[in-house]
Amino acid sequence: MSILELLGKRMIFFDGGTGTLLQEKGLKAGELPEIWNIENKQALIEIHKNYFEAGSDIVLTNTFGANRIKLHDIPYTIEEIITAAVKNAKTASEEAHCEQKGYVALDIGPTGKLLQPLGDLSFEDAYSAFQEMAVAGEKAGADCIVIETMSDIYEAKAAVLAAKENTKLPVFVTIVFDEKGKLLTGSDIASAVTILEGLGVDALGMNCGLGPHQMLALAEEVLQNCSIPVIIKPNAGLPRNENGKTVFDVLPKEFALAMEKIVDKGAWMVGGCCGTTPGHIKALYEQCKNKKPLPIVPKNKTMIASYTHAVEIGKAPIIIGERINPTGKTRFKQALREKDLDYILREGFAQQQKGAHVLDVNVGLPDIDETEMLVHVMKELQSVIDLPLQIDTSNTEAMEKALRLYNGKAMINSVNGKQESMQAIFPLVKKYGGVVVGLTLDEEGIPPTAEGRFLVAEKIVNTAESYGILRKDIVIDVLAMTISSDQQSALETLKALQLVKQKLHVKTILGVSNISFGLPQRETITANFYTMAMQNGLDAGIINPNADSMMRSYYAYRALAGLDENCMDYIQHYGGQSETTVSATSNSDISLGTAIEKGLKERAKQAAEEKLQNTEPLTIINEELIPALDHVGKGFEKGSIFLPQLLMSAEAAKAAFEAIKVHMGKQGSVQTKKDKIILATVKGDIHDIGKNIVKVLLENYSYDVVDLGKDVPPESIVETALSQNINLVGLSALMTTTVTSMEETIRQLKKQKPDCKIVVGGAVLTQEYADMIGADHYAKDAMATVYYAQQILG
Amino acid sequence: MQWKDVSQKEVLRYLGYGRQEADEAVKNLVSECIGEILNQCHCKHVYKRFHCTIEQHSIMFENVVIESKNLSKNLSECEQMILFAATLGPQPDILLKKYSRLDMSKAVVMQAAAAAIIEEYCDQCQKQIEKELEQEQLYLRPRFSPGYGDFQLKHQKDMILLLDCPRKIGLTLTDSLLLAPSKSVTAVMGISKKNKHCHIKGCEACENRNCTFRRDG
Ligand code: SF4
Repeated sequence: MSILELLGKRMIFFDGGTGTLLQEKGLKAGELPEIWNIENKQALIEIHKNYFEAGSDIVLTNTFGANRIKLHDIPYTIEEIITAAVKNAKTASEEAHCEQKGYVALDIGPTGKLLQPLGDLSFEDAYSAFQEMAVAGEKAGADCIVIETMSDIYEAKAAVLAAKENTKLPVFVTIVFDEKGKLLTGSDIASAVTILEGLGVDALGMNCGLGPHQMLALAEEVLQNCSIPVIIKPNAGLPRNENGKTVFDVLPKEFALAMEKIVDKGAWMVGGCCGTTPGHIKALYEQCKNKKPLPIVPKNKTMIASYTHAVEIGKAPIIIGERINPTGKTRFKQALREKDLDYILREGFAQQQKGAHVLDVNVGLPDIDETEMLVHVMKELQSVIDLPLQIDTSNTEAMEKALRLYNGKAMINSVNGKQESMQAIFPLVKKYGGVVVGLTLDEEGIPPTAEGRFLVAEKIVNTAESYGILRKDIVIDVLAMTISSDQQSALETLKALQLVKQKLHVKTILGVSNISFGLPQRETITANFYTMAMQNGLDAGIINPNADSMMRSYYAYRALAGLDENCMDYIQHYGGQSETTVSATSNSDISLGTAIEKGLKERAKQAAEEKLQNTEPLTIINEELIPALDHVGKGFEKGSIFLPQLLMSAEAAKAAFEAIKVHMGKQGSVQTKKDKIILATVKGDIHDIGKNIVKVLLENYSYDVVDLGKDVPPESIVETALSQNINLVGLSALMTTTVTSMEETIRQLKKQKPDCKIVVGGAVLTQEYADMIGADHYAKDAMATVYYAQQILG
Repeated sequence: MQWKDVSQKEVLRYLGYGRQEADEAVKNLVSECIGEILNQCHCKHVYKRFHCTIEQHSIMFENVVIESKNLSKNLSECEQMILFAATLGPQPDILLKKYSRLDMSKAVVMQAAAAAIIEEYCDQCQKQIEKELEQEQLYLRPRFSPGYGDFQLKHQKDMILLLDCPRKIGLTLTDSLLLAPSKSVTAVMGISKKNKHCHIKGCEACENRNCTFRRDG
């Protein structure tokens, strides 16, 4: 019988810790336990055997860290170690005196490095390290794969994909929550469960970190969210330090009793982690062997998740922000072409602050590489904003790449009733997980009637189910079309909403804004339609959260529909505000220059907008903005102004510039930028705050900064300088170890583009150091770089 | 870690304010940043005691040999030492990244606040270890991190491995030997039978000018 067939029939027992047992057998601190699979195999066979005899159904191979990222400079290959490890466990299973068959799980632990953007390991490199393990494990004859002790859900995703794409083995995942129910990288329980279920793992749960007592409440929460079998493997209590040594206090009997409570809540697979011994497992086995696993109740919730938290669709209406989309937005198109990610990030952040729950991301423009741009924007958004994303593209390749690299369970926008579309999208939904948006149109176009759209929706849902996609992971868009051309269209849409909700039991979504296309004062129509749609069953509205009237509709609807307890949200947003909002603030008489010097962002923007009504943009820049910045810069140099103030002024100036840019965009003129400057943090360096400071200031002085980011190899800096013919490069390094790569970058630049000037800066650099490595200039602080740029480029 | 433990003044000092008063806006920003970090970060630390031998300029323990004049002077007469690692977790890095895209002034204050918080956290951990050792009439020398003086950065590898940092506290090392999360510290501390009343901020801050263990050569 395979292990999957056994699940649910009776309780399944895992093994316990091996670390302490290996130490007792002589493993030293810092010694690699994985080597023992080959050099001390008897010790491992014995440990595995003891666990089987104590009652374990499944033992984990001693391969926790047997990945190529952790193990190098050793005399064995990863395959050799894994093959030996599986063999040891199999030998133990044969030798053990047990009635039941013993199963061998290939143990995959974390790589020991942090994934980008927090560390320097790429998702792809993590994937291929796990792939190597999984393939070797299956070949050696493991019965299943257990991915365990993961504290980053993104790394877990890489491991799950590696296991599922390269083997046929069942995949179980356990992750490490802290007492507050959070992963190290911030995921809460609902988000982790949502993401892992989406990826299609066979069972999930938690291990390590806590003892059985602390895990009880968390286990309950996992069980409440989960529709697949749950695994619980605590430590033998919380670790305590005794004379610099880690000890665990919970003894076998107490462990077993505490675990019984967890089993009674519904866990199907149990075992132990650090500090637990065959004694613990034996007690656990005796206590729980006759328990019948509780049936799993499928949770019919439509869930999406970012890496921090999950969002449920269908409980109360949610808002999907529509602003990250170039359609009809000159400024946004410009930002995309210039790769001005900061602009896009600010659009995202503003929507979050206004109350969006999810952000739609569409970066399709005919003349850009959409796949590359989508992945880039998505990664950047995720590193700044913790909302779940809705990936919006009709390019299947871009969709797949984005879903693969997305850290969470995304909304997939979209599929439609065309065979071609369903064939392309549904396999992606199944593989990566996601909630897919189904548009009710097909080869025949958009059906004019509600019934017609319902039929397309039905086709989409049925086809999805044939791919193994659950109904809860589909939301239907019955399409809102402008009433300016057909006055019945709003009513048909509302009717279709009701139909799909009642007859198909799926959740609904609408791009609300379309309804008013071609009409004056669009917001009035849109906001009222939004209310009507919610009343008729709209679960997720794709709207502009920056539009006040839309948010008023939203909060008012929730209050009226009994979804806002004590009208708390409504009061919080609109309480203490007089009916007509007073916009005049006390500092409305502050000039643009002063606003910049004082670092008043809002006011600087406002003042610039006022000035633009009767002054040329260039005059404002040259006569107000730049002098104010210069003044602050001088103060910084003299030591009367400090870095935070300098940057507050810079931010204020940036806000004013942004207002000017928008104004010029409307008039069709583009602001001419000064020369280009490359900025980069050199290879090996992953911290880039210094570089970012310089960037803000250079941009203030209108330089066109080509920001290559951090950890940039010398070759790509040289390549960029050559291809865009850039004559000034700013390099930053934080550590002595990375100054060598700075030196290498300078060497290559000097060789291939001798006319290029190089300015360096960073915590460890000095004038002498800079001279030594051949830099043209040493900038002691951010302003010094600006002055040097002015000197070189004017 | 609590809000009151973190000194605003220290944060301002990191930002370059010496005797000069910071204005209200900056002070408010400092409090805001301290609060935001403390609210989100998960401070964790791990330490282990090792027997060590000091010969000339080498320190030997387990399978590791550290060649360092500064450190061996600082550890002289110690038969044991502590390897220590602490981290604020990835959250401060996430915040820093966020604000360096959205609001650079907040990012630099955040950076300074995080630096002050990790130092304060290390001080607190160190005091707790000191208390434990006092029962055995043993005393700590100040903490000494790889990268200081001639204590080579490559020893980060030994520290991370011996303390099992990735697993125990989620602290990892990049290929270029940077700690990730970045708001982290690893250090060696000597265990001495003599109580020299070491300064928690290390020899640089210590008044004891004639101390033979002083690490600056
Ligand atoms: S100088 Fe001060 S801090 Fe340093 S070892 Fe001597 S007593 Fe301790």
